[in-house]
Amino acid sequence: MFSWLMVGPPILFLCALVGYPFLYGILLSLEDRPVAHAGTFVGLANFVADAHDPVFWRVTINTFVYTFFATILKMIGGLGLALVMNQDFRAKNLIRALMLLPFIVPTVLSTIAWMWMLDPGFSVINWLLRYFGLANPGPSWLGSPILAMISLIIVNVWRGLPFYGITLLAGLPTSSPDLSEAATIDGAGTWHRFIYVTLPLLKPVIFIVTMFSIIFTFADFQLVYVLTRGGPANATHLFATYAFDIAMGGGQLGMGASVALAMLPPLALIIIAMSIYMKPNKS
Amino acid sequence: MSVERGGLRLRALKLWIPLGAFMVFTLFPFYWMAVTSIKPNSELYNRKIMPMIVYHPTLKHYVDLLTETNFLVWTWNTFLVAVVSTAISLVFGTMLAYPLARMKFAGSALISFAVAATYLVPQPLLFIPLADIINQLHLGDTLTSVMLTYPTLLVPFCAWLLMGYFRSVPVELEDAARIDGATRLQTIFKVFLPLCVPGFISAGIFAFTLSQNEFLYALIFLTQTDVRTVPVGAIAELVKGDVFYWGQLMAAALLGSVPVAVIYSFFVEHYVAGLTAGAVKQ
Amino acid sequence: MASIIQAASRRDILKISALTAVGGIMGAARASAAPKQMTMMHESSFIPAYDAYFKNTIAPAYEKATGIKIVYETVSVGSIQTRDTTVAETGTGAEMAQMAFNWPFLFDEKLVDVTDIAKTIGEKGGGWHANAQEAVVVNGKWKAIPFGNIGQLMNYRTDWFEEVGVKSFPETWHELLEAGIKLKAKDHPFGFELGHGFGDNHGWLYPLLWSFGAREVDKDGKTVAIDSHETAAAVDFCREFFQKTMFEDCLGWTDVSNNKAFLSEQISCTNNAESILYVAKRDFPEIGKATGQAQNPKGPSGERFHMLNPWTHGIFTHTPDVQAAKDFMVWLMDPKQVAGWYDVADSYYGPFLHMYDDASFWHKEPRNLPYRDSMANSHLPGWPAPISRPQSESVAKYVVVDMFAKACAGKSTKEVIADAAAQLKQIFKSA
Repeated sequence: MFSWLMVGPPILFLCALVGYPFLYGILLSLEDRPVAHAGTFVGLANFVADAHDPVFWRVTINTFVYTFFATILKMIGGLGLALVMNQDFRAKNLIRALMLLPFIVPTVLSTIAWMWMLDPGFSVINWLLRYFGLANPGPSWLGSPILAMISLIIVNVWRGLPFYGITLLAGLPTSSPDLSEAATIDGAGTWHRFIYVTLPLLKPVIFIVTMFSIIFTFADFQLVYVLTRGGPANATHLFATYAFDIAMGGGQLGMGASVALAMLPPLALIIIAMSIYMKPNKS
Repeated sequence: MSVERGGLRLRALKLWIPLGAFMVFTLFPFYWMAVTSIKPNSELYNRKIMPMIVYHPTLKHYVDLLTETNFLVWTWNTFLVAVVSTAISLVFGTMLAYPLARMKFAGSALISFAVAATYLVPQPLLFIPLADIINQLHLGDTLTSVMLTYPTLLVPFCAWLLMGYFRSVPVELEDAARIDGATRLQTIFKVFLPLCVPGFISAGIFAFTLSQNEFLYALIFLTQTDVRTVPVGAIAELVKGDVFYWGQLMAAALLGSVPVAVIYSFFVEHYVAGLTAGAVKQ
Repeated sequence: MASIIQAASRRDILKISALTAVGGIMGAARASAAPKQMTMMHESSFIPAYDAYFKNTIAPAYEKATGIKIVYETVSVGSIQTRDTTVAETGTGAEMAQMAFNWPFLFDEKLVDVTDIAKTIGEKGGGWHANAQEAVVVNGKWKAIPFGNIGQLMNYRTDWFEEVGVKSFPETWHELLEAGIKLKAKDHPFGFELGHGFGDNHGWLYPLLWSFGAREVDKDGKTVAIDSHETAAAVDFCREFFQKTMFEDCLGWTDVSNNKAFLSEQISCTNNAESILYVAKRDFPEIGKATGQAQNPKGPSGERFHMLNPWTHGIFTHTPDVQAAKDFMVWLMDPKQVAGWYDVADSYYGPFLHMYDDASFWHKEPRNLPYRDSMANSHLPGWPAPISRPQSESVAKYVVVDMFAKACAGKSTKEVIADAAAQLKQIFKSA
């Protein structure tokens, strides 16, 4: 009873502001629904059309590649960052907070900065290559399909890494004498200590941050929308940006919703995995 | 200090080299932003000179940003919105996380699934029904509109993150308090929650940051310049067609983020102390 | 899963009704505080004086004359369609809004028929340009009042062109290619957008396609016509043009990129609206002096084409007092008001009314005259097919842009045309 009293209000809140849009979205995806017009129910026709759309499959592959590499890099990098920052050093708090800057700065604005840093005319790498006469203009960070994807992943990692780091840091034991001494007495090396002491402590937090990172990366929108809008030739289009273009640019709300809802099965699997893993009686 | 004994080389290997690498990766773009915000346009566009150096620094972009746009109003709005949304999210997050982490009750697995399932609603598309709700509540063009909608993006993550931290607090501590005669609520407030401060800071940083960054809902719900937040205001007034006011945009990015980082630095002090220290001691 | 959704919807309704009650009280206070006023939503102009003119001159003048306050809401370029969509879908918000391209067609059912005032304004203004109607007349009804065209022209460096012996801008695409080869050899490549921006890509690729005699869709708006020898010739040309005059980065460009590249002297020629010249004159006088603007080259067919980018003003059907909005529109489009507005924008918005064909603002900057002259052969994407839903989808999916872009990146002409044709057939199936 006590539990229900506690979870009741937030659940109601979420239902009101999320439940309705969710149902509305599902309904949209089953309709031929031009913007500003009444829709007609078409069943799964939109999804069938998606399945025949080569760009849709390109978008699917892009989204998986983007999510996979960005998440892996953030996970490893974030863990490394947390371990490094868990040590004692001067101006520790300030540096820890400064490291959060990429996460703090509004994405739309920081992405605008990256527009210049990824411009072969202005990027430091290209400038150095030009300066030493090695290449002119050098790599095209957003013009080549593969490099464009890599660039987006780098920017995503840059943005997401700090939060990973700081969240894992909160789960790490302080460089507490008790623990390291205990481990040293056991004769454990640094690596062993990390594997058998630190990592298990961090496991629940790593798990949650990773799962949510997958969700956020999978549904990422702003970064791509500002930087490439899906170009060159769809090489960086993701589900969210493609859905947005179809729905807003093309005025096809039903089809846009079907593309957006195509994200649902993979995300649902992830969330089910989370729920199983986090069941209260398991620890 | 065992680390000192290990010698400078070890310390460099374990701390300074990786820390330096992380800092360069993380902060280099900020250096670029800072440089751009004080460069005159003639230098910004000159690709023959080294892009990392300013030859004739100017504060013009800052002055323009502060005098010609409503930047200070946007900053204040952003701050208000972020504080309120964060508070709502932390309270709701705790209300969800505590029972789910601590008590076994029917439907708990279902609830934790349902909470996370919130994220299955693809935000970039489905703002239309949400806009409908906001309009029916007559909240268009009020900060309340985003204060109400942001928590939908924040509560699930906060709840899950807090669940993770709550689990790592040993149950024995609470049991001891209960045996000493404290009620359940007393135990929560006096014993349990203080141990979870790092978790709150972590979730709070997440919520605060996301709400001051959010773009789409703010774009849809806040249409007048005096109720806008920094990202929407800056984009609406500093991105004009295919002409970007680069210097002012970068000034806005820095002024909007560096103070927040400094504020965070006071929080991170308490960050590592509480929870894990307690967990290790047991 | 289903049970969660059902449960959600039931609670949902309860919660919403509770919230509505609260919202009603809060809303009442707001509504009474703001009596007679209307909102005009507009994309923010890169010319600061233009937005300022509405706020500081037009709106106060109207309030003085009628007591109605006109709120001017500015939205950034990438966001205006999203805002228009939200307003049309929810039936709340701005009463009047600026639209672009074929939006009057998209928002048709949510827009007031303004045929009557369009006639009045047209008669007073010496008649409308014929192609203005391409974008605003839906099923015989005017759904918006044409305001101005943001033309796209060739922007080029006169000094560098002269260095390679090209005194006036090339008349044909092939001559332009010849000039480009020489200029690239001197490290002054061309830079035309081939990525996913919102305008500068379509802005030259559709005219290129048309001037080679190719069409995306037939006049009937149903038959996909992209698979033709003319398209193949256009694609072959584009690939050669790209490979011999440009560089890889153009494939990933968005609309801001070519402005940046031109003003940083990386490129000697691009296709853009007036913003390059405008900013060059303001911030980079040396470049400003050496910037020329010319009409798009002719293709093998001997014709030249341009992209029509009409800004229009529509009235949403949710407007409580439609007549008041119409009255404002008529008043706004009266030369006494609108001429001044056109004027502060230095002919960036080319009026669709013939009375301005020789207006003084065209002569403030003679280099802008080609914008006026390009109006006659400017069309919307998809021309000569009438505007349609599938057409919007084709643009949103960048079918034509990507056809060219893929060819430039090295794919065979046959392959890229087959891809585009397959996509278009799927898109136009419903037409």
